[in-house]
Amino acid sequence: MNYENEQAMPANEHARAKRLIDQHHVEGLAAQERAWLDAHLQDCGDCAAFAHSTEEALRAMRTAAIPFPAGLASRTQFRVHLRAQQLLEREPRRLAVWAVAGMSWVLGIATAPYVWQLFSWVGERLHVPKLVWELGFGLWWLIPASIAGAILLVENPRDRFSDASRRR
Amino acid sequence: MAIRTTTDTSDLRALAEGLKRRDPDVFDQLIEQYQFRLFRYLLYLTGHRERAEDFFQETWIRVLERGYQYDGKSKFEAWLFTIARNLVIDWQRQRKVQSLDTLTDPAQETPLQIADTRSPSPLHAAMRDEQDSAVRASLAQISLIYREVVVLRFHEELQIDEIASVMNLPISTVKTRLYRGLEAMRVAMQGVAS
Repeated sequence: MNYENEQAMPANEHARAKRLIDQHHVEGLAAQERAWLDAHLQDCGDCAAFAHSTEEALRAMRTAAIPFPAGLASRTQFRVHLRAQQLLEREPRRLAVWAVAGMSWVLGIATAPYVWQLFSWVGERLHVPKLVWELGFGLWWLIPASIAGAILLVENPRDRFSDASRRR
Repeated sequence: MAIRTTTDTSDLRALAEGLKRRDPDVFDQLIEQYQFRLFRYLLYLTGHRERAEDFFQETWIRVLERGYQYDGKSKFEAWLFTIARNLVIDWQRQRKVQSLDTLTDPAQETPLQIADTRSPSPLHAAMRDEQDSAVRASLAQISLIYREVVVLRFHEELQIDEIASVMNLPISTVKTRLYRGLEAMRVAMQGVAS
């Protein structure tokens, strides 16, 4: 290494070199910048030391050993298997809920004209404003989804509670 | 299904299928494959060994439950770290803390407890590598918001856009934190050395 020219270099060149050293690690450098930096590091001891200390810090971090808890992986695998089994057992029930909800949608569509007439007739008989019985007709369509949603809501808080209690 | 690499497109698709099916073999392999990286990340994130162990297990349970959400287009580890991070954030929120960033005040931050407190013997502790201790001590000095990006970039070797995705931050913010984190790490390492 020849550091004779180091004193003659303008300060902004050193600042640029240090910025490029960091950029090299964070984002990478274009070939031109890389060439400039290499040339600068050949001539500048301070910047070469800066580059070396950065490399060393990163190398040390990458190679630092962190002891992995014994049995953690197998305990986790066991818990994952148990949970998978639970989810598997719940699957048919959930499918049944969706199947029933789907069937009621189909029936709802098929019977829509008759239900509309029924709501209209009841609305007239009871002297209910048109907007109200039309809204009632709309709500009628939401019943299957509401039931399915309610079932899922009943199931999920149970999961959340068990998760929270496990972490505590 | 053998999971050799998670960068190959067909492997990622197969992995996504395995997650959707909740295939136990796939999960066993994934846990084996990512155990060290995930635990290390959680340890640096939480600063507590036992808490990191809890989150490690919870993360895999969440991966099992939400496996259908993984599209197989992005790196699996980025998705895995996102889940782990969200779990930690949820836990912090339950403790009336708004976000991880509010924990970054060095005065309030919990010291990083990375040292193995359950070493089998004093001899084992004495033989622990000096350099590893120096690294842990130096990382503990770095504020959490910088420590996290430094670990994801230089330890887990995620790309900047992947880190942005994991942390739900703009790329520019990730870059800024990386530059500051690198500087902080350099300073901290010098401090430990001296």
